[in-house]
This record gives sequence, C-alpha cells and structure tokens, in this order.
Amino acid sequence: MKQLTPHELEQFLSHLAVRYELRLPILLADGTRTIGSPDDGSVVLHGGAVPGKPTAAFFPQQDTIFTASQGTFSQTLPPVKPLCILGFTPADLHCLRFIDRFFGDGMRDDLYFRLRQGAVVAGITGYCGVRGALLPPAGGNCDFELFWSGENWLVRAYGATGAELVAELPNQATPKEEELFTQALATAPDSGAILLQTASQLLRTNRVPDSFWEEIGERCIACTGCNVTCPTCTCFGVLDWRSATKVERSRTWDSCQLDGFMREASGHNPLGSAALRSRRRIHHKLAADPLKWGEISCFRCGRCDATCPTGIGIMAVAQELVARFG
Amino acid sequence: MKRTLTVCPYCGTGCMFYLVSDNGRLVGVEPSSSHPVSRGGLCVKGWNAFAFVHHPERLTTPLIRKNGTLEPASWDEALDLVVARLTQIQRQHGADSVMFASSAKATNEENYLLMKLARAVFQTNNIDHCARLCHSSTVTGLAETFGSGAMTNTISCIDETDVIFVIGSNTTEQHPLIGSRIMNAVRSGTRLIVADNRRIRLARQADLHLRHTNGSDVPLLCGMMHVIIAEGLADTKFITTRTENYAALAESVADWTPERSAAETGLEAADIIAAARLYAGAERAMIFYSMGITQHSHGVDNVRCVASLAMLTGNIGRPGTGVNPLRGQNNVQGGCDMGALPDLYSGYQKVSDPENRQKFATAWRVPALPASPGLPLTRAMDAASEGKLFALFVMGENPLISDPDQHHARRALENLELLVVQDIFLTETAALAHVVLPAACYAEKEGTFTNTERRVQHLCKAVEPPGEAKTDGEIICAMAKKAGYDGMSYASQSEVMAEIASLTPSYGGISYDRLAPHGMPWPCPTPEHPGTPILHHEQFTRGRGHFSPVSHSLPREQTDADYPLVLTTGRTYFHWHTGTMTRRTHLLDREEPTSFLELHPDDAARLSIRHRDRLLVTSRRGSIQTEARVTTMVIPGVVFMPFHFAEGAANCLTNNVLDPESSIPEFKVCAVRLEKLP
Ligand code: SF4
Ligand code: SF4
Repeated sequence: MKQLTPHELEQFLSHLAVRYELRLPILLADGTRTIGSPDDGSVVLHGGAVPGKPTAAFFPQQDTIFTASQGTFSQTLPPVKPLCILGFTPADLHCLRFIDRFFGDGMRDDLYFRLRQGAVVAGITGYCGVRGALLPPAGGNCDFELFWSGENWLVRAYGATGAELVAELPNQATPKEEELFTQALATAPDSGAILLQTASQLLRTNRVPDSFWEEIGERCIACTGCNVTCPTCTCFGVLDWRSATKVERSRTWDSCQLDGFMREASGHNPLGSAALRSRRRIHHKLAADPLKWGEISCFRCGRCDATCPTGIGIMAVAQELVARFG
Repeated sequence: MKRTLTVCPYCGTGCMFYLVSDNGRLVGVEPSSSHPVSRGGLCVKGWNAFAFVHHPERLTTPLIRKNGTLEPASWDEALDLVVARLTQIQRQHGADSVMFASSAKATNEENYLLMKLARAVFQTNNIDHCARLCHSSTVTGLAETFGSGAMTNTISCIDETDVIFVIGSNTTEQHPLIGSRIMNAVRSGTRLIVADNRRIRLARQADLHLRHTNGSDVPLLCGMMHVIIAEGLADTKFITTRTENYAALAESVADWTPERSAAETGLEAADIIAAARLYAGAERAMIFYSMGITQHSHGVDNVRCVASLAMLTGNIGRPGTGVNPLRGQNNVQGGCDMGALPDLYSGYQKVSDPENRQKFATAWRVPALPASPGLPLTRAMDAASEGKLFALFVMGENPLISDPDQHHARRALENLELLVVQDIFLTETAALAHVVLPAACYAEKEGTFTNTERRVQHLCKAVEPPGEAKTDGEIICAMAKKAGYDGMSYASQSEVMAEIASLTPSYGGISYDRLAPHGMPWPCPTPEHPGTPILHHEQFTRGRGHFSPVSHSLPREQTDADYPLVLTTGRTYFHWHTGTMTRRTHLLDREEPTSFLELHPDDAARLSIRHRDRLLVTSRRGSIQTEARVTTMVIPGVVFMPFHFAEGAANCLTNNVLDPESSIPEFKVCAVRLEKLP
C-alpha cells in the first residue's frame, strides 16, 4: 500500500489529469458538493457521499442517443480522454459494481459503456465521512482507493490499471497505517445492512399489507428525487425532438414514482396508484433484485432519504416496515 | 460540465438548483443542498426544469406578419415596426390606447424595465401583469388591512408553528416544497385545518377538513370569527394595542352564528366551532391561502376576512404565525414589487401621488409622467374587445389560454390594431400576433426573482439563448432606444438593480453583491440592513392593523336547470399554467397529456358517465371537449378542470366577471352542464 500527503495527492491528481479527464468532489458556490471538474470548484474530498447520483458520470440525466439529419446519422463519440472519477464512497462503489452488471448483462448499453469503458474509478474511504466519520475501506470495486488515515491518504490499488497508476508513487504506507486500514476493513457490517435484510425478508415472505403502501403512497408527492439521486436507478425515458432538418433522439432519467412510467396506451396501468408505485420502489430493490441478481440493490448510500421532501426514502420506509411488521 | 446556481422558473416557492451544462447544452439539474427552502430536494418540475430549454420549437428569430403569415425578420425591422406602430397608434388615439403586459416569469429587472418603458417612454400607466389573475385581491386586501400585500412570514416558520390553517390552496401540488414541509410538520404534531372542498392531499392528512361550498369563504371565516369572539378566544391585548376598527368587525360578525354560517357553507356548525377553537386556541398559528381565496368576484373580501381572523387572534408579527398568501409564479411577488401594475410604481408607490411622479420623472429624466392609473389587464381585454384599446405588447404571457372566457379574449386580441408578443415559444397568443419577438428563457439570462416569502434571489445565466433570441431586458432597452429615449442603456443587470434600489425603499439595500448565495427578504431599506423575514413585528406596515368588515355576496353565476353544475378551475402538479414549458417536457407531458374534468361518482352515475368517457362541457360562454375523471376528489355538484390545455381549454367556459376592487376574474366559480360524447 502506498501513502500520499495531501500535497502529494494534489501532484498525483495533476499527473492523472494528463491522461484522464478528472472529476472529483468539489464544493460549489453555496456549499453544495458534487462530482465535477477541479476547474469548477474547490476540491473537497472530505465529507462523505456527494448528494447527486455519482453514477451520473456514466449515465447523465439527459443523453443524446443519436441525431439523424438529411441522410446522415451520428452518435456522440466517446470522450477524447477517458474519465477518471474520484469520490465514490464504498457504498457508491457497490452501486457502480451493480449497475456495471446491469448495463453489461445481455443487452449491453452502448451509451453507458461509451463513458464507462476505460474509465478509472477511485474510491474515497477512511476517516473522511461526515464530520470525520469512518467510511470503511472499499476493499475492491474500483481501480484504487484513497483511505484517509487522519494525516495521509493511503493508496490501495485493485486490478491492473490501478496497479499501474499507483506503481509510480514513491512512498510506502507505514506498518502502523497499514494496520489502521486492516482494522477498519474488519469493521462489522452496520446496522443498516441488517435492517434492509430484515425488510427484504418481510417483503419476500409477503408480510407487509397493502394498507402500509397506501400510507406511504399518500406521503409521496412524486417529486422523483429518490429515483434521480439513486445510483442504482437506471430507468430512462426516450424522446424524439424533431425539427425541419433533423431528428434528435435522447434519453432522460425516468422515475417509477410517476404514473406515466408504466401506463399503457389503453390507459391501463399495472402501477396505477401511488401505493403500488411506492411498493414497487422498495420491492424492486429489496425483493425483486435479490431474486434476479442475487443481492439487494440498495447499498445504503443515503441519497433518497436525504432528498425526499416527505421523509420516505428507502431507509425510513424499511425502518417503519420492520418496526411494524418485523 | 458546468454548474450554474440559479432559481427554479416554476413556482413561487423559489427553490434554487444548479443547472448542469456540457458544451453549452443543459443536461440536468442538481438541487442546492444548503438552500433554506429546497434543502437538497426539488419537486418534479424542478428536477425537469432543464428539459424544455433546447426544444426545437424555441423561437429563434423575430417574426412579422406579412399577408397573413408570420415571416422571419431582422431585429431592426421588427423593433422599428413595433415602435413606429405604437407611436402612430398613440398619436392617433392617445397615449392610453396602448397597453403593456409584463410577466411574472420575467426577472425583477425586466419587470422594472417594462414598466419604465411604458411610463417614461410611452407615457402611459397601462402596464399590468398576470398577478391581476392570481393575487390582485391580496395586494388590495392586505394593503388595506396590514399595509403590505405579501406573505407576512417565512416558509421555515412552518417548522415552529402549532396550527396550520390552509384555505384555498392545494399546497402539495402548487407549492410542492411548501406542501411537503406542512406534511412533515403535521407528522411531528402540528395540527392542520384544511378548508377546500376538493379532497386534496393535505385535506387527507388534516385534523379537520372543511368542504365548504364554492364561494362561501366569507360565511366560513365570519362564522369562525363569531365563535372566537363569543367564546372569549380573541387576543384582546393584541386587538387593543396593535389594531383599529375592531368594534365594526365585531358588529359585522355578530350575526354570523355557527348555524347561519353552516347554512351558507354546507358545513356542520360543530365543524365551524371546532375550526375556530383549534385555530384560536393555538399559541402560534399560520394561515396559508391561495387562488381559492383570491379568484372570486369578492376576492378582496375573502382576503379581508383572512386578515381579520389572524389579527383577532394575535397571529401576526411573530415566528410561526402570519397570513401567508402563497404566490404562484416564480416571480409574481417581484412583478408586483417592481410596479408592473397600473396604479403603482415599484415598491407600491402610488402613481396618483404627485411627489412620487416627480421622483420617478426626475430619476428617469423625463419632463412628466402620466397621473391617472392605467388599465388592469382584465379591463384592458374588455377595452380591446370594445375597440377602445388599440395595441397590446405582451411579454411572456399567454392570455388566450389563461384569461377567462376565451371567446372574449380572442375577440379582444383579434380586434387589436397591433399585437406584439415576446416569448420563448410560439404560444397560442403569439400565433395571433402581428409581431413576435424571440426571448431568452430563465436559463439564458441573469437577473433576480423574488419568491413567495419575499426572498430576492439571483438568477444566473447557464447557456446562450437560441439563434437570435435576446433577453426580455435587452429587447425592452432596444425598444426604448428606437423610441428615442436614451435613459435605458445598462452595462449589466446589476446596474438595473442599483436603479431599482435607488427608487424603491423596500429594495433600497438590495444589490447583487449581497444576494449570494440564497438571497434576502425585503424590506431591506439600506445597504447595511439584513432584510426582514417576518413583517409587522412591532407594528404593521401601515401603523395599526385595520379590521375591514365585509358583507356577504354570492358568486356571480349560480347553477340553474340549464347549467346545473359548478365548475371550478385550477392547475395540476405536473403542468405550469398554459403548458408552454411543461407540455414540452417529456416526463411532465407524459404524466398529464390531456385535458380532463373531475366529477363525483354520484354525478357520474346520474349522468351515466364513466371514467375516461369523452365529454362535452358547456357554459354560457362556450363548449369544449374533455375527458371524464370520476373521483371523490370533488363533492357532488361540483366539477374541476385544470386550465393548462389549449385543446379542451377550461377558460373557454369561465366567467369574465371581475371583483370590483381588484379586477380579478371569478375563475373559481361558473355554471356548466355535461354531456357524454359518443
Ligand atoms: S423522493 Fe420521496 S416524495 Fe419524492 S418521489 Fe421519492 S418517495 Fe416520493
Ligand atoms: S417547489 Fe416550486 S420552486 Fe421548488 S422545484 Fe418545484 S416548482 Fe420549482
């Protein structure tokens, strides 16, 4: 494992910026954090997850699929320099691993891999969460991770690209620092994981009555925030813009909390009530995905709970559900 | 990727977010996590506010009508024509033969500039904007009772109040981030009273839901005041020390026993008593109201009653209290503040006062300014249809869809010798125009918007306007120049704000360098002043709060054998007004693609109408086709329609009767009949 002082990290980042289009957590004008270019705000690696969907780097809110114009057809080319994205928390890296599987399985999603292929992803872990809280080491799911020990960034590489990038770094981590990392790695799974597993179990054994979803649905104002901030929400809607000379097809993040999401041309809607839509939002992550993909697809990044104006993000709902039916 | 902190262009809640752009194109939205209202969230319109901006139907070049069709023209050609025609019409028919319609969608600076153009350059007070259609009753009613026609408290006061009384506001749909805040407060123990006969989301979570008949707000509020006085629940100390004319109020509500109030409202007397006790019994209680109060032929009376109720219980001037009219448009508060009103300069300074005229004339370097108040927008439409108004300049409004009685509006617009429309899309109104001027949208310009809690916030430019489109401000200043006036060239929008501040006491201390990051609430009289979140703290803006007794009048149109149902109109969560932007936003348009009419299952059964049947809806003004939505949202005898849709336009049916004081139309009540279409 390597080690960098904060100053050396800056140098390492500039070095990476030669080969890669660098994106990392930055502070915007009013204190909002996001993953962006270092030119657009001051870099702030501490503070935990950024509020926006980190996987947006590979799957932006709106993306052009193609433009057809007077006999020509064009698609957006991959970026000249591949992306290098820092700022994924360990939870975010699980999300990324999950959607890599999702977008790569069967019908490979060209648009996603146009940006994802060849990109370098780095996790940020260690004692740099909200107010210095520990973000446990990722232990994988990325090319390398930066672990904040309280003084230095420890650098652990995974896979060939990561190893190659990190190889040039001169300083090895001290045994004490390595020990800190190993200890943190051994941290027990948090209570949130257990909560979700319990909730998942309750859903899969059909222990949650419809009336519960009626109540939750009544509280959903259909803002779509939970979906658009969720790193593992991958649904999009497709739209065409036609003008006299061209057709532009693009896709835009969709939301299962909208009535139009599943409405059929006949008007029939298998998700035709807020209760059914709320149920689906939770059920999909906690019950359907475990059946299809072998794991719960919520990795507790906390974003839907933070953005939901009425307090019914997935953790809040899971808590209520376990308290009442567990 | 660039991120630009700016203000949501939809509702008056005034959430701030970052527009994300890549190579000059918007690709998304990220909420501000530190903004006091948005707090990391947005409603569905905010999350999708980027999506219409690059729509292929954006106007990109000026258009002039030639041989009946709108054809592309240069800016010079278009503006020369507009100025020449306006001047010619004024020469022929007098200065007041032209009218300027400003816009609650445009910035404060642009509203100020258009009112300056109208008054200083074209020497007419014929300037107004769509506040006429939404909160003119508030401006009149609260100015009379409190001295200031704006929300008295802040949105964050919701977190510290004990009782919330929502009357005539579908808050979760129209001010979603305020509505959700109310929902959260209720979950933490705040009591909620909702008076609205639709079973809106907040009603479903309320301690008390009062489904009073349409137009019976005065009886309801007077009944509540009667109970409060009779049961000794009034705040006598507040009444004596802070208000005037109490005796007249007490006398006026003396007859409004709960039984009489119940008979007029269709409620149970017990419910009126319960509401009065709940509201008056609270240490701190907030009232929120909106179009359900204002859009009546007695809208000002409704507002007076709301103001009296709050004063009677001392719920003014403290955190967690207040009379809180929720302003609809993103900048309708600002449009009013800037004097885009026929009788007021910026900061509600009366044009009838010679000193004010002198002050503005001196600052604007013109010899004199017109003294008599101009036409309210609604009366201007009447004047146009009667051939008494000859030219209308419309900035960012779509009166053909938004004004009452569409046939009347069309007649008025078609009657004009000159109709100029400045907009971002070719709206239904623009399609009738002689000249169309392509404008930049909110994402393409700088300025300020003032939200419903009077917070003046900085709008920042994220991308360039399409084609040759220009900002409303640039267009207005170019017109002034062409009209030979040299007092309207500004190096930046902050210079315009400096001029506004120098002439407008409540904005006196506001400048762009003080607005980062999330703005400040007026009144802010000096550069050192921190702004005023809560109004009427130690005394009312007018000194003492004035109790204004009212008498009861019914909605102007009543149901009868031919038109047996009451139609009330409003909006839906997913669309904004005439749909110019939201109907060009994929997810929003998909959500509510068509016009519809809500009717109660009992009425549906009686008329053999089934869910999704095609209907013909007829009022005394016209007929439209729409789709039935059978639901218990409405009470029997009342049907509801949103006014967003040009096809199936609710405003074909509405009644163009006006409140005599505020000139607001009675959008909330008219009589219709339904027929099922094959
Ligand atoms: S964030 Fe909350 S209110 Fe918004 S759609 Fe999701 S669950 Fe509904
Ligand atoms: S609540 Fe209003 S201001 Fe906030 S995002 Fe929605 S429309 Fe925009």
